[in-house]
Amino acid sequence: MKKTRVTAGALALLTGLVLPAAGDDSAAPVREYPPGSVTLEEGLANWQTFYEVASHPRCSNCHVGPSNVPMWSGPSYGKTRPHGMNINADESRIGAEALICSTCHTTLSEPDENANRTPHSAPRVASIWGLAPVEAEWFGKSSNYVCNQLKDPQRNGNRTIGEVASHVDHDLVLNWAWNPGGNREPAPHSLALAIDALMKWSAAGTPCPPEE
Amino acid sequence: MEITVNGTAHEVDVEQDMPLLWVLRDELGITGPKYGCGIAQCGACTVHVDGVAVRSCQLAAGDVDGEVTTIEGLGTPDSLHVVQAAWVEHQVAQCGYCQSGQIMAAASFLDVNDDPTDAQIDANMSANLCRCGTYPRIREAVKTAAKNLRSA
Repeated sequence: MKKTRVTAGALALLTGLVLPAAGDDSAAPVREYPPGSVTLEEGLANWQTFYEVASHPRCSNCHVGPSNVPMWSGPSYGKTRPHGMNINADESRIGAEALICSTCHTTLSEPDENANRTPHSAPRVASIWGLAPVEAEWFGKSSNYVCNQLKDPQRNGNRTIGEVASHVDHDLVLNWAWNPGGNREPAPHSLALAIDALMKWSAAGTPCPPEE
Repeated sequence: MEITVNGTAHEVDVEQDMPLLWVLRDELGITGPKYGCGIAQCGACTVHVDGVAVRSCQLAAGDVDGEVTTIEGLGTPDSLHVVQAAWVEHQVAQCGYCQSGQIMAAASFLDVNDDPTDAQIDANMSANLCRCGTYPRIREAVKTAAKNLRSA
């Protein structure tokens, strides 16, 4: 039973499927904007808003590359360093090959906004904990890099921007970023604003800032 | 709520958010799992849920979704689990406080990889702390247990 369960979870992550948000009614509607209804300047400003979210430690710490090692960075960690305890999520990105992330980041049976009040304890959500797909590696990457990455079907799970926004909206690990509990700094802005920024950026033609 | 531990179903009257470790130790008197840090940093409280290692201090009673196994249910004195037997063979324990968590972590790890390298053993046992520093003996015991599992 165990191996079946772990494998199912690993497959869901590997295939980029959104894990079910059972009982989650916090999802904000994704508002569509007609193509061209947002100016280039506004589009770039909205991308900047989204990049501030994506590059925040609550998001980027798990958007790491093929090392499969999550990062600890941000104000609550003092200095940037790899996740302690030699943690490696392996190719499954959920640690299914050896030490599954949910050993410590246990899985809630339903969303509970008070589940993570204790500083320093392993955060938990009503979904299996794990890294973002390796194609979504953007820890430490520039705004230009992440901008081009996010609209590249090869690296965004073959999604339209609307589908990316919906994915962000329904993923409970991502929802946690704005209510991380303990002494962790929440992601900036809000989930609704981040999704709206994505949709406005899309309507403006997904413009990217120049490489700095 | 009902909770099954070591093959026995128990009816416990506890809050949904009581950590499993509290249920085990205070409600059921199963004291093999130890309280170390309470925040998933040390591993002393490690048990299995459906065979997978989990920190019982981090898992709320209401979130338990399978059968719990503690060190008491992994093997018996007359029929030790292969990891427990290896622990005895290598005389791993010093003070012993972390050892039930170490053994439960090792058993779960070997269930998905019964031929680990030294580096894999070191990496995957790193989340279980031992203040006595028995790590070299832990590594040797895990290797012996793996060998015995493969030849079983």
